[in-house]
Order: sequence, then structure tokens, then C-alpha cells
Amino acid sequence: MSIAEKMASNQKQIAISEFFEKNKHFLGFDTLPRAIITAVKEAVDNSLDACEEARILPDISIEIQRVPKAKDQLILISKDNGPGIPQKSIENVFGKLLYGSRFHAIRQSRGQQGIGITGVVMYSQLTTGKQTYVKSKIASESTAVEVKLGIDTRKNKAVKYAQERLIWSENDTIVEHGLMIKTQMKAKFQRGSQSIVQYLKMTSIVNPHANIRFKYINSDGELEINEFWKRATKSLPAPVKAIKPHPHGIHLGQLQRMLKDSDERKLTSFLRQNFSGVSTRAAKEVCKTASLSDSAKPKLLKTEQVNSLLEACSNVKFLPPPTNCLSPIEDLLIKKGLSKTIDSKFVTTLTRSPRVTSGNPYQIEVGLIYGGKMPADQQVQLLRFANRVPLMYQQGGCLLTQSISSVDWRQYGLEQAGGKGIPKGPATILVHLASTNVQFTSEAKEAVASNEDVMQEIRKALLELGRNLRRHMKKKKKMAKAQEKFDLINDILPAIAEKASTLLKKPIPDLAATISKIMNAVILEQKTWWDKDTKTTRINAKLFNYTSRARSYTILMNWPEKQGAKMIDNDRGGRKETVGLWAWKLETLQPGENTVIEFGLDNLEKGDWTETEVFYRGSAEVIGASKLDEKILEEMKIQNSNEILKEMEVEEIDETISNVASRAKVSNLTDEKLHKESYQTTLFDRGEKDE
Amino acid sequence: MSRTRNDGETKQALHQVVDEMYTKLQKGETPTMTLPVRTKLNIGFDKNLGVYKYGKKKSTRDASSLGSAKNLLRALHMVEFIDEMIDNGKSSTLREMYYISEGWGHGKFSTQNESNNLAEDLEIITSSMREDFRLRPEEDGSRIIGNLTINELNRRGEWMKINARDDVGDSGYGVPYNVEKEKIQLVEHDIDFIMAIETGGMFDRLIENGFDEEFRCGLVHLKGQPARSTRRILKRMNEEWNLPVVVFADGDPWSFRIFGSIAYGAIKTAHISEYLATQSATYLGVTADDIVAYDLPADDLTSRDIEALKSELSDPRFSDGYWQEQINTMLKLGKKAEQQSLAKYGLDFVTDTYLPEKLGELGLA
Repeated sequence: MSIAEKMASNQKQIAISEFFEKNKHFLGFDTLPRAIITAVKEAVDNSLDACEEARILPDISIEIQRVPKAKDQLILISKDNGPGIPQKSIENVFGKLLYGSRFHAIRQSRGQQGIGITGVVMYSQLTTGKQTYVKSKIASESTAVEVKLGIDTRKNKAVKYAQERLIWSENDTIVEHGLMIKTQMKAKFQRGSQSIVQYLKMTSIVNPHANIRFKYINSDGELEINEFWKRATKSLPAPVKAIKPHPHGIHLGQLQRMLKDSDERKLTSFLRQNFSGVSTRAAKEVCKTASLSDSAKPKLLKTEQVNSLLEACSNVKFLPPPTNCLSPIEDLLIKKGLSKTIDSKFVTTLTRSPRVTSGNPYQIEVGLIYGGKMPADQQVQLLRFANRVPLMYQQGGCLLTQSISSVDWRQYGLEQAGGKGIPKGPATILVHLASTNVQFTSEAKEAVASNEDVMQEIRKALLELGRNLRRHMKKKKKMAKAQEKFDLINDILPAIAEKASTLLKKPIPDLAATISKIMNAVILEQKTWWDKDTKTTRINAKLFNYTSRARSYTILMNWPEKQGAKMIDNDRGGRKETVGLWAWKLETLQPGENTVIEFGLDNLEKGDWTETEVFYRGSAEVIGASKLDEKILEEMKIQNSNEILKEMEVEEIDETISNVASRAKVSNLTDEKLHKESYQTTLFDRGEKDE
Repeated sequence: MSRTRNDGETKQALHQVVDEMYTKLQKGETPTMTLPVRTKLNIGFDKNLGVYKYGKKKSTRDASSLGSAKNLLRALHMVEFIDEMIDNGKSSTLREMYYISEGWGHGKFSTQNESNNLAEDLEIITSSMREDFRLRPEEDGSRIIGNLTINELNRRGEWMKINARDDVGDSGYGVPYNVEKEKIQLVEHDIDFIMAIETGGMFDRLIENGFDEEFRCGLVHLKGQPARSTRRILKRMNEEWNLPVVVFADGDPWSFRIFGSIAYGAIKTAHISEYLATQSATYLGVTADDIVAYDLPADDLTSRDIEALKSELSDPRFSDGYWQEQINTMLKLGKKAEQQSLAKYGLDFVTDTYLPEKLGELGLA
């Protein structure tokens, strides 16, 4: 290399270093602990996205090694079972800034944080001078390819070094397809709330379909951390569709570009073809409002005309954009994800129907777990996600945090000074915002920007979780009361009798009458547990009559019928009261008698069903169960039959009319007007009117 | 303290507690334990004894809730434990019993306060003293300095003569937990009165200033709310040597209570007031009036202080005119003062001016 070339190269080096230096805060490489998290993030996001596109259940493993004798150097090895990258694309994927098509499409995507995996390759090279090792295997080829990659800082693109083909096997099995990256960078491994473990744990919660492994090897070569988050479901997230922009969410620059690129000859057809939610009537209205001719040529619009078009777009009403472009996790899966990663006693989750704000579809999902080993005297842990990506920094400035802080959690049993702010208690609160266009406060993409609609939507969801939590605590209190009574008669009273008799050298008296007197109640003892041997959930309820009168009851219990559970070993028979509620009419219980109801639930996994609610019909109070509210039961029955109806109808509509209206509208209406009107008519009315 | 009962009587009294529970069980009823109400609402002046004792109000603890059922079980374990100690001629401290209860299963104590309280409950129910139960406190008694001579039975079983002025260092004679005749004999003295002092700081000040010799008195350090043995030895010196007892404490609601327990008996130990209370004891100061008269540096009463004073207004032990006036004056002032605030006028002010003036009013100086 000539001196001039060297100098040029150095200059370029400096330029790239400068680029990194200037932008490291939003590239995610501003501190040494953050650099490794960003690198892991890029690798994992790529793997998850690739697997999702290729419809493969992801198996991802991350390994971090401390480089011995080097200050603050880490080796990152990332492996997945994704589709792999064809040999000729490797340079592009790893060596070009902002490579890929995801950037322009309007749909929910994990999104690029910083500049993607290229940033990792660059950062490694800049901080350690090392090249990045990539091994890739695609299904259609018999061998894998391995290359060493560096970034040519003059041309700003990747350069392949030693390229070879080889047979890739792991644990004596040949790898069908997959990708492995190994890179060495200046970085620091940390533990705590902003750590790789936390990041992967959170990733596993919102990607319950992924197996994620993590290993950390310290500078002595010892395996110090070895984690495995197993997948909780085998179903991949539904594929997301790209949608056209909605007129309410369009920006000037975007509109100008679209107009410039358009082939349509008339403005109305431009509007109808390039936007979602625009009917002919609406397109005409836009033109009228903007004082533009229907047949104005889109390409030739002047700046002030584009401006008035933009203004008209925000003033005219349109159909909402379709929301099937969103991919929520679904509450049951969040529940599974949460319960497998965090030890707790109670989990409640909720997926709201999709909504639209300024032309962008979005959907809120929330979860709350309570109890277990979480510390009771500290702030609750917040888990924030945008489009299935964990947000780990800038918690305070984030809309998701502000929504949580705005709820008065005291009424739901958590501590909170003044009824606002992050509450205290043994709990974790999760908020996931899925949207085609998540607005962040800054390029760092770590905090969601303010939006009143979204905030209200999150609040509504959180309030519902709060109510569930309060119900759970109430129940727990009731159970504790019953448990105390049991401890009293089963342990303490016999001990008193025994000790007193021994001291007085007299026979132990019969305690039955005393027990009835002390309890003077009908008590239900209920347990729900996972039976390892049969791999079923077991439920046992024992009813004791500790009163002086004969009592008769019908006992009812809820069970996850809708989730596909199957009731087994129900020897007591009984009958179905409504969907998810079973009833047993019991024979009369004489004073001092007890009876047991036992059954199992099949088709469930461990952790799916951990708490059973018990109700009773009968005159005297049962401690440990709730009196059945017949009115609520009636409503449940109506709702259940409506839901069955709805499912049938939705299928029909999907088949016969596609693209009529958004599913959001369907769900919104069914939620709000379930009992008042048939949504089907409404749906057709709207569809016809607008078409 | 004197043994009120012999071992057989103690065991019998304890077994009556067990019998109450057993009989209830036999009848198919909820086991109970009946004991006097232990609040100021249930103490009254006993004219014969001249002290405040528990009245007739009884409360019943029954096994209908988990907490009180556990308490009954603990009582049974304690009775068994005491039985065994009596039979084997052993004794234990209250703290030892608390640790021994670890092996009592559901009957184990969760705090030592629980075990101390239950021991007191049993004392009251059985009209015994904890010494009858072979239980001793680990609380140490007070310190005494002055020209008085005591005979104490030491660990080797020998009587040891100790003069609390000549045979002791600056910390004085340490009062053991048992001050009954079998352990302590009051031999002789050459003093005119006993002064009981609340704080260690003031006790040491008076010693340094040679107050005990100059004013011919015995000084007793109370260490805050005095232990049973401290109150008992005050009473013995008062009765056997016929010496007046004056109490010199801080000027706050809590000092009033200290005086109340010395002179009239404490609410917690009202069952044995006649052994512990020195009816003729006099409150020397610091009084509410002193705060004004000597213009003492004073702190504002806290809300807890005010609450305590108001509660004292309805306490039968403070129902006489003198105390009602003192309490009301303090409430009106809204101030309290420490003994050591007298140092405002110099280190010798307390011994040169304040105490001679106060004692003069009583005819003791």
C-alpha cells in the first residue's frame, strides 16, 4: 500500500470512527456494557426475524467469553437454526448499512436498532482489529460456508477473507440450515436490570415460540452462567402483512415522494390505489376539501397544492386501516412466557383489540405477575416492549412507563406514594405495544413517545389487570382465613388436648364437638397442582360441614374449557353449567361430615392452569368459596353463546367478503355492543355504504 | 423476691390452668384461659396494702382463633417446662426459655416479648411470682452508692459484707436480680435518705460532686423504668431501715410513670405491687413547675408525649390533686426538660442549689 493510500485509508478510518463516536448513543455503543447488549440484540433480532420469515421455530444460542488477559474484551458467539444466508449475500447482509427491504414496508417489524449487524462487525473491527467469523448453511446446499469478514473502510463495504466450504455439525448432527457469528469486541459483561440475561429473558417472554440459550464463560474459562429459556408454544407468530399507508398518518415528505413516484393519472385514483381506507367517495371529498380537481395529475402537483392535499387528508374521515398487519403475542402466550421466566403465584394478561391512532394501527398487550420470590419492598419491575423488542433504557421518559405510573395501583393492592408513580410490591408489569409505526422519543429507540390515544388504551388494559389482581388478593385473603382455621383444628387443638391430658395424666378427650364449636362454618379446602407423573393438572376440593346442622350445596368450579382443556377422572360426574364452568350437586352433608370432589385436566401444560375458582349454591356461607352470582352467570351464558355465534360468523365473512372492513372494527363492535345489536348487520351496513 | 408458695402449691396452681382447658375440651367446648384485664382500666387502690392492684375484671382467652389457640398451647408447654424444672431443681432465664421453646412445635414463641408476657400472665393467674416458676430475668438491677452495708450470698455460698461507699468503685454496688433475704441482708447504714435517680449521667454527676457524703444519702441509679429487683430493694431499704425515698427524674411524662411504678406499682406487675411499691416515695423533680421556676432549657412535647400525659390524666395512680396539677401544667407549658438541663447554670448547680432547695422543702436538707 502506498503512503497516499494508507493516508486515505486512515482518513476513512477516522471518518468511520468519528461516525461511531458521534452517533454511538443511538447506535447503542456508547458504553462498554451497552455495546455487548446491542451486539446480542442485533444478532438475536436478525435470527428471530429470519426464522419468522422462513417459518422456522427458532433455536437461538448466545455465548459470551471473557478474553483472558485482555482488558474489557469479549467474544460473542451467536448461533441459530434459521434459513442461513446464501454465500453471495453474506457480504451485503453483514457489510452494508441499512441493508434489507424491511425499512420501507409499512408493517409491524422488530425494526432496526441502530444500523443492524453491520454495526457489530464495524465496532468489533474498530475496537479490536479482529474480523468477524460467519458460518452459514442453507437447506438447498449440502455444505456450509464459512468466511471471515472485515469492513473495507474506504469503500464502506464488507470484504471477505478466507472463504471455505465445510460440513457443519453440532453434537454429531449435521446442521441443515443455520447461521453462526463469532466476533470479538471491546465490551464489558454486566449483570442486573440492564444485562444480556435480562434482555434475553425479556425476549423470551415476548417470543414464546423461541428456544433461547445463554452461556457466559469467565476469564478463567469457567462456565459461570448457563441459562435456557424453553419455548412455551410451537406455533409461530402469524405472518404479518404489509399495508399501504393511511391518509391520517402521512407526512409531507412521504406524500411528496409518493406523488412523484406515482403512475396514476388522476388524483382520486392515486389516493385510492396508494392508501388504505380510502373509498371513491372519500377520495373525492379529499380533492374537494383541498380545492383540487379530481383529475389533477399527481406527478405535477406543486408544493402548496401538496400541502393543502395533506391538510385535507387529516380532515376527511376514512375507513380505519386494516389491522391484520399486526402480530400480537396473545395473552395466553404472554402468560406462559411470564410464568416460565419469573417465579410467581399469580399471572394475569390481556390482549386488547387493535386500534388506530393517526392512521397507524396499534395493539396493546399487558401482563402482571404477582407474588413468589419477587421483593415486596421495592418498585415493581417493568418490562417494556415495542414490536416484540425489549426496551431496556430510558425507562422514565417512556410512554409505557408513564401509563403504568398514571394508574392508582393502591386500589388494587400495591403500594404507591400518592397514587401515582411506579408502584411498589412483589410484582412485574409488562406492556407490549405492537404497531406498524412505533413513535420513539429519539433515534436510540428506547422510549416510546407520548400519544394520548395509546396511553388511554394502555391504561384501560392495566385497570383490567388491576381488577384481576384485586380479585386474586381478596381470594388469597379468604383462603388464608380458611387455612388458619384448618391449622387451628388440625394442629393446634389436638396439641392442646394432648399436652393438657399428659400434664393431668388423663385420657385425651374427643375433639369433634369442640371443633364444630370453634369452626361453626362450612369450609372448602381446594388445591390445584401439576402432577408430574400423569402430566395433567389435578384439582381437589374438600368440603367440611363443621356446623351443627345438615347442609346441602351445589359446588361449581371454573376450568379452562376454551383453552382446549379436557376434563378427566371426574368420578363425581356433575354437569356443565356453561362454557368453562362445571357444577356438582352434592348429597346432604351431616354435621361433622366431609366430601371430596376430584378431577384432572388434560391437554394443558405445566403452568397453564394454577388457580381454580370455586363457587357454591346454597344458603349457608362456605369459607373458601364464593357464592355464585346468578346474574353474572346469566351474562356469562349469553356471552358464551354470542362468542360461538361470532366465531361462526367471522369465518363466514372471511370466506365470502375479503377486504370489506378491518377486523379491528369487528372486534371493537363485538366488545362494546355485544348485547345490544348484531354486529353482523352493522358490519354489512358499513361495508356497503363505504364501498 | 420472697417465695410466695412452696413447689407443690405452685405446681397445683399451674395445673389449675391446665384443668380449665381440659375440662372445657371434655365438655365439647372451646378451651379457655381466664386472667385479669391488664390495663389501667382494671387497677384499683388496695386500702389494706396501700398499693394499686388488679381489679375484678377478667378476660378470657379462648382457642377460637389461631393466635390465641397458639397462646394456650404455649401456656401448656410452659407449665410442663416449669413442672420439669421444679422436679429437677433447675432454673432458667426468660431468654433461655424463649430459646427452649424452639422445640415446642406449634407452641414456640415468635418473640421473647411473647414469652415474657406469658410468664407474667401465668404469675397473675396463679398468684405466684416468676421466682416460684424458677424463671429469672436477665435484666440487671441498678447501682447503689452510699454509706450503707449489705451482706450478699456469693456464688461460693459465702456471705460477703459490702459497704456501698468503701468497698466499691465508681460504678457502685451492683444490685443482683434476686434481692430477697436468702440472698441479700441489709446490715447497717449511716444515711438519712435514699435518692433514686433516673439517668446515669446525673447519678455520676452527684457522685463526682460528693453529694452522697455531703447530704448523707444513698444514691440508686434506676436505669430508666426500674427492674423488679431495683424496686424491691428500694422497698426493703424503705421498710427495714425506715429511710425516706425520693425520686429524682427527668421532667417528662415517662418520668412520671417511673415514679408511679416505684410508689404505686406498675400496671404490668400490679399482681405483686405489695412486694414492689414504696408507697411513701416522694417525687423530687424535675417537676413541671421547676421548668418555669428554674427557667430550664426545655424541648417541645411530642405528640407521643402529649398522648402519654393525657392517658396519665385518667390513670388511677395519678388521680390525686398533685399529679393532676403537674400533668395539666406540663400540658399547658407544652414543654419537657431533662435532669441534666440543670447544667445550664454550671456543673455544681444541681448539688449546690437545686437539690438542697428541693430537699429543704421536704425537710431532708
